[in-house]
Amino acid sequence: MLRLTLAQMRRSLGRLVAAGIAIAIGTAFVAATLLAGNVLTRTGYDAVTLQFGQADLVAQGPIDDATLTKARAVPGVQAAEPLTTGGVYLTAGNRSSYEMVLGVAADERLRSVGVSNGRTPSAHDEIALAPTTAERLGVAVGDTVSASYSVPPADPDAVDAQWEEKTAALRVVGLVDDPDGAWRQYGGVGLATTEDIRAWSAAGPDDPIATTLLVATADGSEQTREALATALPDTTVLTKDEAAARTISEFSQAGNVLVTVVLGFAAVALLVAALVIANTFQVLVAQRTRTLALLRCVGALRGQVRRSVVVEAAILGFGASAVGLLTGSALAQVALAVLNRSEIQAPLPATITLTWAAVLVPLVVGTLVTVLASLVPARAATRVSPVEALRPADAPEASSRAGRVRLVLSLLLAVGGGLALLGTALGAATGAADPMVWLGLGVLSGATSFVGVLIGAVLWVPAVVRVAGGLLQRAGSTARLAAANTVRNPRRTAATSTALLIGVTLVAMMSTGAATARTSLSRELSDRYAVDVQLSSYGEPVDAAAMDAARAAVAGVEGVREVQPVRTVQLLAGERQLEVVTMPDPRTLVRDERTISGLSEGRLVLPSSASVVARNDTPLTTTDGTPVRVTTAASNLGGSSALADTVTFDAIDPDAPVSGLWVRLDDGVNAANVSRDIQDVLPSGAPLGVESAAAERQGYEQVIDTMLAVVVGLLAVAVVIALVGVTNTLSLSVIERQRESATLRAIGLTRRQLRSSLAVEGALITGVGAALGVVLGLAYGWAGAATVFGSAGHLHLDVPWRDLTIVLAVALLAGLAASVLPARRATRTSPVAALAVD
Amino acid sequence: MQTTDRPAVSARALTKVYGHGAAEVRALDGVDVDFAAGAFTAIMGPSGSGKSTLLHLLAGLDQATSGTVHLGETNLTTLDDDAMTRLRRDRLGFVFQSFNLLPMFTAEQNVLLPLDLAGTKPDRAWFDTLVGTLGLGERLTHRPSELSGGQQQRVAIARALIAKPEVVFADEPTGNLDSRSGAEVLSFLRRSVRELGRTVVMVTHDPTAAAYADRVVLIADGRIAGDIQDPTPESVLAGLEALRTLEGPAGTALVGA
Repeated sequence: MLRLTLAQMRRSLGRLVAAGIAIAIGTAFVAATLLAGNVLTRTGYDAVTLQFGQADLVAQGPIDDATLTKARAVPGVQAAEPLTTGGVYLTAGNRSSYEMVLGVAADERLRSVGVSNGRTPSAHDEIALAPTTAERLGVAVGDTVSASYSVPPADPDAVDAQWEEKTAALRVVGLVDDPDGAWRQYGGVGLATTEDIRAWSAAGPDDPIATTLLVATADGSEQTREALATALPDTTVLTKDEAAARTISEFSQAGNVLVTVVLGFAAVALLVAALVIANTFQVLVAQRTRTLALLRCVGALRGQVRRSVVVEAAILGFGASAVGLLTGSALAQVALAVLNRSEIQAPLPATITLTWAAVLVPLVVGTLVTVLASLVPARAATRVSPVEALRPADAPEASSRAGRVRLVLSLLLAVGGGLALLGTALGAATGAADPMVWLGLGVLSGATSFVGVLIGAVLWVPAVVRVAGGLLQRAGSTARLAAANTVRNPRRTAATSTALLIGVTLVAMMSTGAATARTSLSRELSDRYAVDVQLSSYGEPVDAAAMDAARAAVAGVEGVREVQPVRTVQLLAGERQLEVVTMPDPRTLVRDERTISGLSEGRLVLPSSASVVARNDTPLTTTDGTPVRVTTAASNLGGSSALADTVTFDAIDPDAPVSGLWVRLDDGVNAANVSRDIQDVLPSGAPLGVESAAAERQGYEQVIDTMLAVVVGLLAVAVVIALVGVTNTLSLSVIERQRESATLRAIGLTRRQLRSSLAVEGALITGVGAALGVVLGLAYGWAGAATVFGSAGHLHLDVPWRDLTIVLAVALLAGLAASVLPARRATRTSPVAALAVD
Repeated sequence: MQTTDRPAVSARALTKVYGHGAAEVRALDGVDVDFAAGAFTAIMGPSGSGKSTLLHLLAGLDQATSGTVHLGETNLTTLDDDAMTRLRRDRLGFVFQSFNLLPMFTAEQNVLLPLDLAGTKPDRAWFDTLVGTLGLGERLTHRPSELSGGQQQRVAIARALIAKPEVVFADEPTGNLDSRSGAEVLSFLRRSVRELGRTVVMVTHDPTAAAYADRVVLIADGRIAGDIQDPTPESVLAGLEALRTLEGPAGTALVGA
């Protein structure tokens, strides 16, 4: 029987290869994802190990001075140093940067980084900078930078307890050298004394200074380890490798989640591949009806026939999976090589690491999916009766009446799930219960209804195709021929369209969801980041002439639409400080005029952070206690400054000087770049700090866009597989209809007409799948966005016309393209074939 | 019957060779033959005699190795594929052994298909004449799967005649039919010649079917081996018998009847 299976496979090689491509793409996806996950884990592992320097043992737990003393007293311990990390905000001139800082370990063995230029900080107020930070701040060894940090109030229980901003002048004594890139993923690291870091982190004398203690021992023996563990009962003592593994397992949770999510997309791709496979096998079985019947005539058992089909699927699945595994590995390796060449902020290994899981999972999953997909066709094969071998050959029509059970089940799931989804979207808008609960419900009911839609596809997709084909009736005889051919085998057309429909639905859903999210969030963002760029002297007096010069310079920067001088006065709302600003025309300056709609003469608009003042109608006074006669209005304005119009402001303090500049940028410019340009043109006499809310806002928008692009890219794999399926279906139809094509050619169908008829057929199949997918995706995308953003109130359903048009156009073009190869074969058929008897 | 002097189809030195070298098969070997307009001609011969190949070449379905075929004034052997296709569509009709109707179209749609492909309007009167003559009036809305073999072949004949072709080629049109349906189809073919003035060339291996024709051309080993005017089943059988005896081990002679 195996010999027969192999012989049949050889005869159907072309079709099997086409089906195999679908599986290979899916398994390549899985393999590449698993390998990328390995690289991710590996990268993290290496980085963590590097961060421990040459420590023999690592103790994890709260490390304070007492722990240190105890650890150093353990026999066999040569050095014990806390791995102290902290952060500090550094400013030099008008440039600033945040720097992660490590405490300098006294013992060289426990240092993970060195100093290449200058020396290691050894005294209070000394710092060594990462080279990139030094460059960003424009400082060199020997210069001074200003560090700002916060310290907690002396009495945390006081009524108006506030963190206090402190600054310190630090001398740059060296540049950090991190040759192995142990801290590259943090954007580099600085060095300072442990005492300074402790002060910047606002740690008290008894507070733990680190969570990791690095220990160098004389011999690295197990004895020392046990002694250390006994001495430090609050900590876990591990070897360096154990500690790295443990740290990884904690912080690579995020990485694992990512791998899981991507594997989810791979599963979608494999599901689509399974549809393509099932379809191919169904047709293979239909085509071999005579052979199968003959086998049954000469004594093949039903089981043998079924096994033959399943074995064929297993061979195909394994072969295609192996190809997919190789392709996926090659892709991962190429991606790694490309990333290693670019300036990526992580130490990546040079080659991928093949683990058993990364090899076996794609092979097993790919084979399994193929075999499972072949089970239904295999059952169809066993139903071929021996008598069929004796009947005259005619095109086998794989038509069986779709069951009533299927219809009921499909309706139940689709309608039930759809109603549940609608209910979820409406329920989420009420804001009751945890949003995650609504999200979970939404995903569940959405998935349920989609399963219902897919189960029923074989019933309603042909109907839609028939209607769409009906519209083509007037478009001439070739279109009519194509339309008639498309609905001849409803089951196959449905399966092919459905494969595409899944991918397109998901792509459309994601882009609709993202578009809606963007529109819904943009209002929120334009409130919170109302002013694009703010230049402020932070309370320092600025010379009026220098301010004018700065204003002119900023106005000349490309991408700046408007610059307005800002005056500031400090008021008190009860105990609370309130900064009030004014400018000539705030309405043109803010992103969305509605944000400050409450602004009028005698009324201030408060930022959302101070809205409590408006709610309580707290009376305002000047800093010396004089009452100020204004009313206040709450708003969603971000930041900490209240806004007043010029008349109201002058009534409070007509002499307040210009303390800063507020800038509105042109739409569509890169805010981060323009902000940097602004910083660069500022004259040295005006010590203004630049804060770019626009850059932050664009950052958020970019996150949404990037995520969307990644997700759509991943789903596109499923669409590509589905298109392979379309080509496959068309070529199978062409083979089945060889006699008909020949007849048509004999009675006067030109090659062109035959080609265009197939092109229309391909476009009809993909067009219907894509159009239905777009409609479904739109509905699901809206429901999803309503569920997520409904409670936030800013819901605005958006249709991403551009994206949806692209999806439709790609599908139609792909349908046309998918017909090219089958059409070549069809037109090669000689009209003589029409006269052939069999 | 009313044959005119100018033939509808004529072949000169028509040769078709399949394969090369040792595997070379001369399916047709320098055939000269004319088919009169307004006549019903049958081509007969044993299996492998080349009768099907001759039909393919006469109908422009296949390319000849050498020699010429003329349909009226048109030399078929010089036409490219598109011109040939248009010629088949507008000037020739076909009736196949296995009917070859399109299963997804109704009988009427099948009949009108050649006009559809050409994008021309059907001549309603001619359509009605054909439907009436072939007795298809009740069956026009049925699909092929709902028709008997004889009905399907009648639809196929209507399809072959709808464009008023100069010649209709029929390849074993009764091969898949029982004898009653076969007789019916043959009478229709004869009526389309006698009453509707068409020209029909039919390949068959059945002497009874051949007897419906006005003339039988016998073919053996890729050459014309005989010509019988106003045949009867008996005269056709006799002609075939003569071929067989002459085809013995030493037999190379040609017979004319």
